[in-house]
Amino acid sequence: MSQQTFLYQPKVTEVLNNIRKVMIGKEEAALLSVVALLAKGHVLLEDVPGVGKTMLVKTLAKSLDCDFKRIQFTPDLLPSDVTGVSIYNPKTLEFEFRPGPILGNIVLADEINRTSPKTQSALLEGMEETSITVDGSTVQLGEPFFVMATQNPIEYEGTYPLPEAQLDRFLLKMEMGYPTPKQEMEMLARTSNSHPIEEISAVISREELVGLQKETAQVYVDRSVHRYIVDLVTGTRHHEGVYLGVSPRGSISLMKAAKAYAFVHDRDYVLPDDVQFMAPYVLGHRMILTSEARFEGKTSASIIEELLTATSIPVKRTTGE
Amino acid sequence: MQDRHSTVYRMILYGIGFLLFCEWLRPLEMISQTDDVRIFFIFAAFCFFVSFLQVPWYLSMPLKGLGVAFILDGLYIGELIFSPGWFAVLTEQVTFNIQMISGQEWWQMTPLFRSLLFLILLWLMSYLLYYWFVVARRMFFFVLLTILFVAVVDTFTVYDGSWAIIRTFVIGMAALGLSSFAKEMDKESIVFKGLHKAKVWLFPLIGVILFSSAAAYASPKFAPQWPDPVPYLESAAGGTGSGGGRTIQKVGYGEDDSQLGGSFVQDDTPIFTATIDGDRYWRIESKDTYTGKGWTDTLEQPVMTTDPFDIPFSTFTEEVETETQTAQIEMTRFASFRKLVYPYGLTSVGNLEGEFNLRVHSNTGEMDTYQGDAPAKISTAELTYEFPSFEYSQLRESGNNDPQEIRDQYLQLPENLPERVRNLASQIVEGEDNRYDQAKAVERYFSANGFEYSTTDVPVPGDDEDYVDQFLFESQIGYCDNYSTSMVVLLRSEGIPARWVKGFTGGERIDSVENEEGDGVQNVYEVTSGNAHSWVEVYFPDVGWVPFEPTQGFSNNADFYTDVDVEETEEDPAAGAADDTQDETMGNPQQVEEEDEASGNADAASSSGSTTFTAVLTGTVLLAAGILLYVTRYRWMAALLIRRYRRSEDEETYEKAYHFLLKVLNHKGLKRKPDQTLRDYALKVDQHFQSNEMRRLTSNYERVIYGNESQKTQWQKVTELWENLIKKTLS
Repeated sequence: MSQQTFLYQPKVTEVLNNIRKVMIGKEEAALLSVVALLAKGHVLLEDVPGVGKTMLVKTLAKSLDCDFKRIQFTPDLLPSDVTGVSIYNPKTLEFEFRPGPILGNIVLADEINRTSPKTQSALLEGMEETSITVDGSTVQLGEPFFVMATQNPIEYEGTYPLPEAQLDRFLLKMEMGYPTPKQEMEMLARTSNSHPIEEISAVISREELVGLQKETAQVYVDRSVHRYIVDLVTGTRHHEGVYLGVSPRGSISLMKAAKAYAFVHDRDYVLPDDVQFMAPYVLGHRMILTSEARFEGKTSASIIEELLTATSIPVKRTTGE
Repeated sequence: MQDRHSTVYRMILYGIGFLLFCEWLRPLEMISQTDDVRIFFIFAAFCFFVSFLQVPWYLSMPLKGLGVAFILDGLYIGELIFSPGWFAVLTEQVTFNIQMISGQEWWQMTPLFRSLLFLILLWLMSYLLYYWFVVARRMFFFVLLTILFVAVVDTFTVYDGSWAIIRTFVIGMAALGLSSFAKEMDKESIVFKGLHKAKVWLFPLIGVILFSSAAAYASPKFAPQWPDPVPYLESAAGGTGSGGGRTIQKVGYGEDDSQLGGSFVQDDTPIFTATIDGDRYWRIESKDTYTGKGWTDTLEQPVMTTDPFDIPFSTFTEEVETETQTAQIEMTRFASFRKLVYPYGLTSVGNLEGEFNLRVHSNTGEMDTYQGDAPAKISTAELTYEFPSFEYSQLRESGNNDPQEIRDQYLQLPENLPERVRNLASQIVEGEDNRYDQAKAVERYFSANGFEYSTTDVPVPGDDEDYVDQFLFESQIGYCDNYSTSMVVLLRSEGIPARWVKGFTGGERIDSVENEEGDGVQNVYEVTSGNAHSWVEVYFPDVGWVPFEPTQGFSNNADFYTDVDVEETEEDPAAGAADDTQDETMGNPQQVEEEDEASGNADAASSSGSTTFTAVLTGTVLLAAGILLYVTRYRWMAALLIRRYRRSEDEETYEKAYHFLLKVLNHKGLKRKPDQTLRDYALKVDQHFQSNEMRRLTSNYERVIYGNESQKTQWQKVTELWENLIKKTLS
């Protein structure tokens, strides 16, 4: 296989640079968001309010020349507020479809766990399919279609936790974390006059983004790396601290994420390193721990860490098989 | 890499290693058959010196190899060094010994090969100790081993290790002190050069060592807390003989025959070579007094100092037909006795290197070789002798009129000789009417009555047992001493004067050469320790002493003939020339030499003697060679692989090469955990070497295995990186 040349790849760096202008010390979160975008997946951001979840999404959306929509989830939000609704137009004497926010290219679903499961599922369904059905008619979703949902940690009052089964609709789940004191000071300095987000502009067109996604899909994954992914995922199913292991969809997601990660690094093949890096974000929210493991203080992150240590890296070409 | 340590310091350490190693060589002279260990000391010193210089292997190997060759040449090989003949000898020796080793016939190994192995062992030790002492600086283990070695050798052998243990202690203390000092310096990163600031460490070290060894030497010590372990171990192991305190001895010529019996081991150390017309027995002396346990000599006197050209000693009268013959003997350096070995009928000794005189014991025939007033060993000699031929009828008709002197001296028997021995003697000779036939009857008795020849499982007579009685009636198993002593005792109890003779059999024919006159061929025989033998001489009036050979498997090579004028009576089965092959098949005749007279307990180490020593030596050498190969495996494998990888250019080779590099790195302590990605690992390796080569190589390798890309175009660069890394790792 000859080495591929990626036409659009340099654009990725431009996007990341753009985000860096606004977000301070959130390189990893920015990178992961781009990875999910390229892998045609969706992201669940989980952290306390005020650490920059929304700002990240807004910055990303602004860097892309795409249709950006935002849904602020509240307990009284209805599914039709998400999908859109048909309204009777007295002039034309017809019902006219008013598209909901889900029909944008980049959708920010803020505080997704604050709304009722009914409304949540309206969004989650849309994430899984490429179209939604509103009032009996099928409406095609945008291309590209990228959802970034944020949620407060579930211990907080007045929330509707997402069912575990629906969580794996998200390719990645990540946390933002607090900035370091130095970063926070820098942040204060930058925002004293005007917010930097006002100063950035789009660097990628919608066509370029679609091209990037196509190129990402072409990244080569060797059988030895397949094996490594499967070993890792199988490990979650046999781990004694895991009640429900990662599904095969998890394997596919891990591979997709690793491909995108490799692509971001301008590589046309996936390394075990890519898989290792992506595994905690891709697999963490796809498994349920046993109560014993939880009482022992284990988290899905610590279990994935264990598995990564226990699984050997393939260092030879796979022959045959 | 040893920059931190000055040459002086390395030299001291390595010198200490050498001194300790010397403690291992010192006992060799005593506990093995090694005659001269100086040569090994010299070679060891040479090897250590070359190792110390740290010259490249292509210099040090030939240097040491040359050393080995010169020593072997000087010791064993007569040919011009490095001539085709020289190599032929060496090849032949090595082939033979390898055959013997593969056949597990350790005792057949020749001295040359044993020495060769030993020299190689010394060679390897020089490397090993350099590594231990100078590179790894782990000397405690070797110090401990040396102390253990000295203790064991002291306990189980005749070697007296009392000074050796003190030396080892002092040297070991110095070594440990120095190394701990050096480690301290390293830890504090203090650089020192030469003997600069020597007084800071040298004097305290010397003081501590002197004080502790003096205190240890002067302080009272416990008496041994255990009983002597040797008899204890022997009794635990079941022992060999039936008490008596003597265990297994080594074959060879010895002087003390007052305690006969017991088993012994074979020994093929060459004693001398003889160029002679035929297979002759080599006489040394006779003994006259049988004690019931062995033989002593009451007729040492008179001794006559004579000129070697005219020897006033003969065992037979002028009545006997003789033929004048000559023989050349050449003693090897292994011959420890200072006496002349001679064939029957010796008249003069010539061609001696140096001024010798002979002190001839006119009764026993013992001829001590002297230079001035000091006993001296002769190296070569030409012997002129009257080879006797005894005529049957003359012997048969010689009668019983022995001179009174002969009767007084050669009919002695111990008072407590059991009656059944005398009865047996009368039974054997019953019906024979003359002395010769009587003697022949006794000579034949053993082979005709199921006696067994053996050098092992031979008992030692107990305190109240008679040596001959035990052999004749109880064990019926034994070697030449048993047979010859029994024959003498049986004959004496029948009133026939007889005496017991010691010497060597003819040995093994190894060559034939033209004689000096050029009119005939003489044979060259090699006589070894294993050819030591004892036999019988019977007195015939008017004829003199006639040799007889009662030992099974040996033939009497004295010449007997029937005068055609006289009526032919009997065909003598033992007449005629010697039978070499029989000697060989039966094992060699024995004379037992007690290994250690002083300690009384023959030691366990020498009991198994040269065979075990050789086996252990061979094993050690092979083991050491194996270890060396194993320790250096990455070096020579790398050398091999570099060559191979340069040639082939496929992904499989690349993969193998990369993995070999991983192994080498792993071996050198840069271990990759199974969950560590190659990239991570490469980073770590590069941090160690402060370069980026491993990362470059690894990123290339990743393309091959994860990216499924061919790297043919990069091959040149990759090979270069790989080689650099291998070299860097191994340096």
